[in-house]
Amino acid sequence: MKKAFQFIQSMTFGLILLGAITACSVIGSLIVQNGEPMTYVRYYPDYYQIIFALQFDHIFTSWYFIALSALLCVNLILCSVIRFSRISRQKPAAYETAFAQVPEGNADPEQLEKIRQKLESMRCRKEERNGITVYSRNDFGWYGSFLTHLGLLLTIVLFGAAMYLPMVIDEPCYPGNSLLLDDGTRIKVESFRIEDETGRLDYTSEINVILPDGRESGVREVSVNHPVSMGRYKVYQQTYGTVGKMKAERNGKSDEFYLESKDFLSADGKNGIWFDELYPGFITDDQGRTTLIQSTSGHYENPVYVFTLMEDGSTDMMMAFPGDTLEVKDMKFTFLDPVEYPGLRIKRTPAMVNMLLLGAVLIMTLGLYLAMFVPPVIVAVGKNGYAVRGPKPENTQYEINMILKQDQNSSGVSI
Amino acid sequence: MMNFIFFGGLVLYFLSMFLQFAGMVFKKESWTRIAWFLFLAGFALETAYLIIRGIMAHRLPLSNQFEFASAFSWSIGALLIFCYYRLHLDWIQSIGIAATFLIISYAALQPREITELMPALRSSWFGFHIGSAAISYAAFMLAGGVGVRYILVEKKNSSDSSLEQMDYFIYRLIALGILMLTITILSGAIWAEEAWSAFWTWDPKEVWALITWIIYAVYLHLRINRKRRGAFLAWYAILSVPVVLFTFIGVNTLLPGLHSYGALEALTRLM
Repeated sequence: MKKAFQFIQSMTFGLILLGAITACSVIGSLIVQNGEPMTYVRYYPDYYQIIFALQFDHIFTSWYFIALSALLCVNLILCSVIRFSRISRQKPAAYETAFAQVPEGNADPEQLEKIRQKLESMRCRKEERNGITVYSRNDFGWYGSFLTHLGLLLTIVLFGAAMYLPMVIDEPCYPGNSLLLDDGTRIKVESFRIEDETGRLDYTSEINVILPDGRESGVREVSVNHPVSMGRYKVYQQTYGTVGKMKAERNGKSDEFYLESKDFLSADGKNGIWFDELYPGFITDDQGRTTLIQSTSGHYENPVYVFTLMEDGSTDMMMAFPGDTLEVKDMKFTFLDPVEYPGLRIKRTPAMVNMLLLGAVLIMTLGLYLAMFVPPVIVAVGKNGYAVRGPKPENTQYEINMILKQDQNSSGVSI
Repeated sequence: MMNFIFFGGLVLYFLSMFLQFAGMVFKKESWTRIAWFLFLAGFALETAYLIIRGIMAHRLPLSNQFEFASAFSWSIGALLIFCYYRLHLDWIQSIGIAATFLIISYAALQPREITELMPALRSSWFGFHIGSAAISYAAFMLAGGVGVRYILVEKKNSSDSSLEQMDYFIYRLIALGILMLTITILSGAIWAEEAWSAFWTWDPKEVWALITWIIYAVYLHLRINRKRRGAFLAWYAILSVPVVLFTFIGVNTLLPGLHSYGALEALTRLM
């Protein structure tokens, strides 16, 4: 039991877990994830059964990938605790060792003086005892590795929370209309445009978020990279679309509305028009034949409404352009310019998660910086020699070697 | 004019590399000195090219495969110059020059026209995220190059005094690389949340950046733990370079995803 516990907290176990996570990640990047079952049957006819059996079609949410991640977190927790307790023991011990003993004869007095000067120029603290001077600095560096592991642990946990806790809704919304969320929050789309003033592609909606308590965000622009935050909500510009628009008149009254696919517009349920589809444009060949085309750019250059006219029991397939009017019995229909609308993504996140995640990210980055670039410096200088102590003596030793190398080069000797 | 500056830099890098190796083979120190000055001239041209391109595009020149590869080779060059002048590592010249030339040659094969930045890339994270990736890849590439030199020197003389220094610098370069890659991944996650509403989507580029990060994290653990040293870690640094190159080139061209150049048009339509 004790051995198993020791293994779980060991670096070897951590490295094995990282290797397994890497292997899963490679598989996950090569096999399409979260596809329809038929996709795998079509693209991997010889292997699809293995793919399904081993959950390679959703490997990053498979039980074993989650288990590996959880075990890595356990390993990191134990690692961090052990690391912290080790620092509290090792730090005073390193100073004691530095004062206790200095090797004799590994540098001559001139070289020792240069080392002293270098350490003083590095603004090291200086303490003398028993004829040994100990220079030290970068005490924060002791905690670099601990902070890195702690930051990594928090980042993994909070990334998980930030990925799986938020409620996400994708909704299209026509300009002038509102989306009402289940808690009473209302998001009104004031306008939407695809190009900015200079004609550059830039998908921007103007929205107003109104919380149930009446607080409002005010009319703000939402575009890619610039979501609007209000309360627990964050609203993103996600997609866009184009919808047909029509004006209908009858008995001196009129109304305008958006045409969604397969709408039947009629006053008596028999005579009227059956809207089929809105096409972005058309081409006409030499013989005058017209072909309707789909948009590849998202722009509707020459929009064409396709519909079926139903009147007195007869049906006729017809086309119309914006501005065209059509009278059916006592109704008058006017086809208007199509309207571009945004598809919004609304995300509700527990308020603290993003703040904590940002904190974890900063802890990890700071930890890495301290661990790699602010190593603790402890150098003991005696009468006839010096010693570099502490957890990572290499960096300091290199600096000292540089001074000694300059010294030796001047006397024609290389290190 | 722009082509002249770019290809001028490339030719100078090539001449520098050629002269460097010739100087090593024929043991002519003056040739390697000239090679270094040619390299500096090439670096100056590449720097000028990137600055002019940035001014012409009204943005940082980091938006497509060509611009990233140019920034990548420039970062190798900048690290090389830093190592040479600040750390007095003269043995790093040959491998650094070769690596710089290799990456800029790849850049030369890419389309060079200046394109408008797609909406998803118009963010203040743009320079931070992609710039740190370029420095990170450069550090890993240079570490692999030092690894090659380590193996060659060790084969000749296993007690050569520079081996320890090379081993140490592979470690330092990988430490720099992993710090910058961490910044790349974390800033990318924060940016993705701003742009696409999710910190992490297991997009192939994210996955391979994570794989690269894990591979180098394992290196650091092996070294810090003093379990492995010397030739083993030099080989490790060399064999990790293809992973970095796959993350840079392979993922963008072979795997579909949000960072894939083949998918950019589709993404533009989506956005």
